[in-house]
Amino acid sequence: MSEYLLEVKNVSKFFYGLKAIDALSMKVKKGQIYGIIGPNGAGKTTLFNCITGIYTPEEGQILWMGKEIKGTAPHKIAELGILRTFQTIRLFSEMSVAENIMSGRHIKSKQKWYNGIIHTPAYYKDERENWEKVGELMEFFKLSQYATTPAGDLSYGVQRKIEMARALAAEPELLILDEPAAGLNENETLELAHTIKEIQKMGVTIMMIEHDMEMVMSLTEYITVINFGAKISEGVPAFVQDDPIVIEAYIGIDDEDES
Amino acid sequence: MSNINFNKNSVMAIGVLLVMGIFPLFVDSAWLAIGTTFLVFAVVAFSQDIILGRAGVFHMGHAMFFGLGAYTTAVLNVHFGWPILATWAPAVLVPLVVALLLAGPIIHLRGDYLLVATIGFNIIFIQVLQNNIFGITGGPNGIFGIDVVRVFGVELFEQTHMYYMAFILLGITLFIMKNLDQSKFGRAMFYINKDDVAAQSMGISIRYYKLYAFALGAGIAGAAGSMFAVQYSAVSPEAFDVISSIMFFTIVLVGGSASLPGVLLGTFVMFVLPEVFREFETARYLVFGLAMILTMILRPRGIWPVKFGNIPAFLKKDVK
Repeated sequence: MSEYLLEVKNVSKFFYGLKAIDALSMKVKKGQIYGIIGPNGAGKTTLFNCITGIYTPEEGQILWMGKEIKGTAPHKIAELGILRTFQTIRLFSEMSVAENIMSGRHIKSKQKWYNGIIHTPAYYKDERENWEKVGELMEFFKLSQYATTPAGDLSYGVQRKIEMARALAAEPELLILDEPAAGLNENETLELAHTIKEIQKMGVTIMMIEHDMEMVMSLTEYITVINFGAKISEGVPAFVQDDPIVIEAYIGIDDEDES
Repeated sequence: MSNINFNKNSVMAIGVLLVMGIFPLFVDSAWLAIGTTFLVFAVVAFSQDIILGRAGVFHMGHAMFFGLGAYTTAVLNVHFGWPILATWAPAVLVPLVVALLLAGPIIHLRGDYLLVATIGFNIIFIQVLQNNIFGITGGPNGIFGIDVVRVFGVELFEQTHMYYMAFILLGITLFIMKNLDQSKFGRAMFYINKDDVAAQSMGISIRYYKLYAFALGAGIAGAAGSMFAVQYSAVSPEAFDVISSIMFFTIVLVGGSASLPGVLLGTFVMFVLPEVFREFETARYLVFGLAMILTMILRPRGIWPVKFGNIPAFLKKDVK
């Protein structure tokens, strides 16, 4: 097995001849919190979509524990242990919070094809275990009081938590967070940072795109900076922060005010 | 908190089933036949709802699977002399396998494209029946003289027998629907329906669960078709044309997608009410069409919309 959990090697993705990602490479170690930053439209979310199988990059390799996963269907990627949240929240908004989180248990559930028609003792055991896990996650994210509330009726901050709970329910190896702090107030952001640390302690590797620089610099252990689809810098937060190329890329985009 | 779930909904459900159970005691044979067909149509509507209301597949050829079940029973019984009981399993399996074969290549199509493709299948199906393929479908006239069900030498030939057989079939269907909704299979269909990108990212194979919905829906529709063939002791193509498919599609949307009481109510409104107002002749369809339009404007999720949040009691302890 490779020393790295995830390796992105010279990956390029085109949209109608336009290069959205340009020969991008990065290596994520197990247990890391890995940050990806860059101006809007730099291709960060496109990269996440390539890793999670929503897009298939035209060039390069994506290695998961040393094995090529480029071109694998999204649901197979999830089965491998790569789970994600979305920049624009994508919950099953008419369904209750508990049911939303239960979707994360899908790949862990051992129900057989005939359990959709008839229930067996093994089904009851499996169903009970999965709902219990949902209960634990609702407690961890302080969502228990909303168990039966439709997810779409809740505030932005709560919805972000539901998305994370849903992804964690699948017991991922790698959790991919796409702008988890977007739309959160200051208190919620602090709580989020704490939660991400807690998730790391569970042994989950985390990759995140984030515009909140304060949070990125304090949380992440390694950062890749992307601009116009290409990597312009990488390193530990302290290095990236002072890299003149990074500073130049961010001139005119005052992130402090924007977020 | 009591473990017995005597809430308002279960009381109402038991009430409705009770009324349906004693219905034959109070009506003449014409109404009994309408009642039986109502039960059969309700089963077809529920099976359509698995595909349309749960998996969210815009499938408008469901009368084909209903017809495949009916013709399987008719052909095997009339041409090959099989007893009706022996035709039940093939009447479920034939539509189920055909559904998998036909839906397989088109399941990736989106909404309107798939809708047109399924209508196409239904039209071809009717053409095949009318052209008396292999000399076994009887052409435009269909097949007559289908036997009655015989169990241990007893002939179940009365309308009351038909009614209770259909009633049991509806009971089995409701049992399956309940089990489906409380399994990872039913939930996966809802997730795909509500947001397919998010569902995939949770590890749910869209193709697998849409085909699962198709197979299950077609199998149940086939069972209903077999019952339909026995009730009228005849089958003919026009009962299974695109107009019927549109009716089943509409029943689900008017009643309430994925809602058990909604679909039952939808079947009642779309099938039984027109019979009640038969004396108004074609004028009733004017009112009827208007009612459909108004339902979609005023209650876009159906007369009795589905309610989510059906989770185990121990998770509700903190709910305020």
